Amino acid sequence: MVTKEITKEDVIETLKSVIDPEIGLNIVDLGLVYDVQISEEMILIIMTLTTPGCPMHGSIVDWVQRIVSMSFPNKLIDVQLVWEPRWTPDKMSEEARRQLGI
Amino acid sequence: MIQPVSVAGIYSPPFRIVSKYFIASIFSFVILNFMLLFNYHSITGHHFQPKILSINHIATLGFITMIIFGAMFQLVPVVLEVKLFSSFLAEIQFWIYSTGVILLVYKFWNFDSSLSFLFPALLLSLVMIIFSINIILSMIRVKSWNITGTYIASAIFWLLITALAGYFLSKNLDKPFIRINHLQYLNLHAITAYIGWVGMIIMGVSFKLIPMFTLSHGYKMTLAKISLVIINAGLLGANWIMHYPETGFYTKIFGSLIFIGFVLYLIQIFIIFKKRIRKKLDIGLKFSAIAFVLMGIVSVLNYSFLFFDYESIANLTIVYGMLVTLGTFGMLIVGQMYKIVPFLVWYHKYGSKVGLEKVPMLKDMFNEKLAEGQLVLMLIGIILSSTGLLTKFYLLVLIGFLFLFLSSLIFAFNMFTIYRN
Repeated sequence: MVTKEITKEDVIETLKSVIDPEIGLNIVDLGLVYDVQISEEMILIIMTLTTPGCPMHGSIVDWVQRIVSMSFPNKLIDVQLVWEPRWTPDKMSEEARRQLGI
Repeated sequence: MIQPVSVAGIYSPPFRIVSKYFIASIFSFVILNFMLLFNYHSITGHHFQPKILSINHIATLGFITMIIFGAMFQLVPVVLEVKLFSSFLAEIQFWIYSTGVILLVYKFWNFDSSLSFLFPALLLSLVMIIFSINIILSMIRVKSWNITGTYIASAIFWLLITALAGYFLSKNLDKPFIRINHLQYLNLHAITAYIGWVGMIIMGVSFKLIPMFTLSHGYKMTLAKISLVIINAGLLGANWIMHYPETGFYTKIFGSLIFIGFVLYLIQIFIIFKKRIRKKLDIGLKFSAIAFVLMGIVSVLNYSFLFFDYESIANLTIVYGMLVTLGTFGMLIVGQMYKIVPFLVWYHKYGSKVGLEKVPMLKDMFNEKLAEGQLVLMLIGIILSSTGLLTKFYLLVLIGFLFLFLSSLIFAFNMFTIYRN
């Protein structure tokens, strides 16, 4: 049986289902996902939050880990939260800007 | 260069502990407004009288400080990225504190001679010490310090001074052992409580929460830093000169420092609001924005007390106290509770269900239209009761307090809805 190779786009599409409950937008459109690296065994997601010391700090990492694990059960998932480079509003997608009325 | 951040050290106390403080604070808010409504005729004259002191302490201790304690146990770990030193201390502190507040409010209300002032004052002082130790021992492990942390550290210092002054006052009211001017020490106690403790905490936390909720970016925090230094300098000076007679000139100097500090703080907040990405203000931020406007008004009024004698204006001190307690701090706290409580409950109930089932958004956790109604009632209530007190038109005071009481019921209902979600 031939299994489809997982692409970066597949992971990013999955990450779009992680919604920030305060802002109501997904973490991809908010520009919080910096990079996705896929190796044979693992998917590494490098992401940030809009502000350091956000109360959702630990929980968003858990959600990302859980949702990506459910979509790609054969891979180990590692989520790295980083503060550098700092998140800025220009990292948001056009859709996010539109929804926030910018 | 990308540096990974460890999330392992982040730890807040259990939901049930923080919830106790929040529920007790909401309950106190309703009781406070009930006491105002059914004693509207007593809220007049000099502020150093039993009924007013009783209502003031249910406001400052039962409502304001109660919520600050709960919020600090939740926020210090996340804002400063450090584990709370002891959840156990946070838990036992709640019971000692609640007992102390109930006894003190009761004692002020009845001036019951069978109950000494000293016992509740002792309990409350003990709590201030337990809280300070818990937060200080948490904060000494902070790796990356920030301006909010420095504001919180200052607030802890002033909390201890407030407790000391309060205990000293209680001891002397109970069995006079030294000839002091009680009114002078009451002022010292009030200034350190309102500006040093509540003010510093609210300022420091607002620098973290307001940008986070408004998605504000691209501003400098210079004014926040200057404000911190000069308000502390003003408070230290005010505490020092309080012990000397004939200090008019120095009082004006230190009062000016505090006033300028508040002006700089409000300019900093204005800059943060101006740089926000989320242009539409939700209900929590509407309450907060009005509170900041009121803070500007009371700061000017407070400063003018140093230069003008308002003896001829009836009840002005009481109106001022109400504008500070219910207007500025009350509205800011209510607003921030509309942001924090939904998140805490949401996280507790739905955090583990994300990705597994459909979960609500935070704004769906309560009726925002009803909260808008609360905002209008609270604002009209403050305006009517203040006008009534200043003009000695007590029917207006009664109507104003009725509005305030209804607004507190709506608040309690909305908070109850969030918890039941």
